Amino acid sequence: MKAQSKLYFYMILSTILLVFIAVWSLNTGVYDFGDRSAFEVLWKVIVGESDLSLSDKYIVWDVRASRIVMTIIIGSMLSVSGTSLQGLFRNPLATGDLIGLTAGATLMAAITIVLGGHFREYLPEAVQFSLVGIAAFIGSLLAMLLVYKISTSGGKTNVVMMLLSGVAISAIGFSITGFLIYISKDEQLRDLTFWNMGSLAAATWTKNIILAVILIISYTILLPKGKALNAMMLGEKDAQHLGINVERLKKQIVIIVSLMVGSCVAFSGTIGFVGLIVPYILRLLFKSNYSFILPLSAIFGSVLLLTADTVSRSVVEPSELPIGILTAMMGAPIFIAILLKFKKSV
Amino acid sequence: MKKFILAASVLMAIYSCKKEVQKPTENGNELVAEAPKSNNKIVTLNGGITEIVAALGHEKEIVATDVTSTYPESLKKSSENLGHVRSITIEPIMAVSPTLILGSDKDINPELMGKIKASGIKTETFKQEYTVEGTKKLIADVAKAIGNTDYQKLNDKIDADLKQIQPIAKKPKVLFIYARGNMMMVAGKNTPMAALINLAGGENAVNDFEDFKPLTPEAVVKANPDVLFFFSSGLQSSGGNEGALKMPGVSQTNAGKNKKIIAMDGGLVSGFGPRLGEAAVSLNKLLVESTK
Repeated sequence: MKAQSKLYFYMILSTILLVFIAVWSLNTGVYDFGDRSAFEVLWKVIVGESDLSLSDKYIVWDVRASRIVMTIIIGSMLSVSGTSLQGLFRNPLATGDLIGLTAGATLMAAITIVLGGHFREYLPEAVQFSLVGIAAFIGSLLAMLLVYKISTSGGKTNVVMMLLSGVAISAIGFSITGFLIYISKDEQLRDLTFWNMGSLAAATWTKNIILAVILIISYTILLPKGKALNAMMLGEKDAQHLGINVERLKKQIVIIVSLMVGSCVAFSGTIGFVGLIVPYILRLLFKSNYSFILPLSAIFGSVLLLTADTVSRSVVEPSELPIGILTAMMGAPIFIAILLKFKKSV
Repeated sequence: MKKFILAASVLMAIYSCKKEVQKPTENGNELVAEAPKSNNKIVTLNGGITEIVAALGHEKEIVATDVTSTYPESLKKSSENLGHVRSITIEPIMAVSPTLILGSDKDINPELMGKIKASGIKTETFKQEYTVEGTKKLIADVAKAIGNTDYQKLNDKIDADLKQIQPIAKKPKVLFIYARGNMMMVAGKNTPMAALINLAGGENAVNDFEDFKPLTPEAVVKANPDVLFFFSSGLQSSGGNEGALKMPGVSQTNAGKNKKIIAMDGGLVSGFGPRLGEAAVSLNKLLVESTK
């Protein structure tokens, strides 16, 4: 019980931190609200006061607030997907990027951007508008199924095979994406680079509702899995002896993670390393206790991505740095740190 | 302080709009035609369109532009540069509180377009065709959008300029090259460069594909251009004439053997705005020079 109250304490503390960052993020941007702060304007929007100019309202509600919410959801999902995969594979380097989900999603997105013009008109209008997003989601699911097919035999999944097939799929995905970049026109190339580096600028409330539904479904299933993942650390056989249904756990994690990663890539492009950085830092703080780091990674993922995104849109005003550049800058040193640690233990 | 200056400049702007534009000239009763003043704050997201708005006398109303809007140069000081049109986001646009956004239908990505529509700012997008007729139509359309019907003089100027083009007996084959990252691209059919080359009395060296394709040594030798054509900035970045002559395959072509390399300002070549005539004449001069 003591551990439980300690967890709540950390959860509340990190949520307060997240709220502070969100307020700072809301007040950051090139648009000038005159003598009010963005926070006051948002409050007026919420309570429905009518003395606001339309563009003040639009910037605060439809641009900044919706972007902050989307960043919070995506940061959280990316981070939780990394944490769950690492628990499942008992490997701190396992992330959605590593088992080929991101590559699958990016590939489908790239195909749609470059070749979409040829089949776009045969589709219903609602589909046309979100074509790239839907394609990315399908791509991530296909990659997952393929990885699963290759690495599973007789109902048992071989983790090493899974990682290797992930590497193979990434290689195929990026080579085809590279070819598409080569044949793309200039404006398509711009879209592709943006897609490859991620961006949260296209946030809308409609997208947030879809993402929130995915988040709730995923977390209801995933977040209580901390104990099971702790048991997994002893090895699959021992976990089985402790009464964990290992195969079922694997299936659940794999399907839900591909759902989360696919929808993240669909709405914001490729934002790498979030699923690597957050669990790593949390493991430093709480060892590998998944009952702690699974729920905490949900909040710290948001903290990290919201900080990065706010920085990305304030350093080179009036343009923005692609967010993927920033997360990679933070992530790459951590990647190396993990490798060095491994080297010592071998 | 910032807000004070902003308020002051807004007041000044309003005040200057009220003033009657009457400049008595030498003979005392002639009025100089000036653009009708309006309180428009315009964001232009395309080099050619920016030039048209400025040429119609509305330069003062432009509050922000994209990276391709390099002309007139005075805009650098008076307006905000929002960067590349494909990576512009909605907030910096709204930060300059525009009343009108103008762009070409090909440039603005659908995501941004959706946001602009939702923001309620009046927006006009135009089809840009790389022909003389297309440019004239664009000028007329942009003029209509900013409420100025006095555009005929711009179109007349294009016609007058085009009349100065000297026909070249043997059409030189011109290959346009530009650097994209570390890849050299050449201009095929339906590019502004090909259109301008044809206007200026030359012939585009490659016509078996559209848009831009990476340059390969074999393709360069096969096309065998008489002249190599660059953006001034591009030629500089690839090491000037020396660098251009070292490009793969170039030494085997007529252009390489005779060292015929020309360069023009990028905005002038690809703008297809009010300076279309000027651009064609300058290119024509360069081509006449290079065929001597």
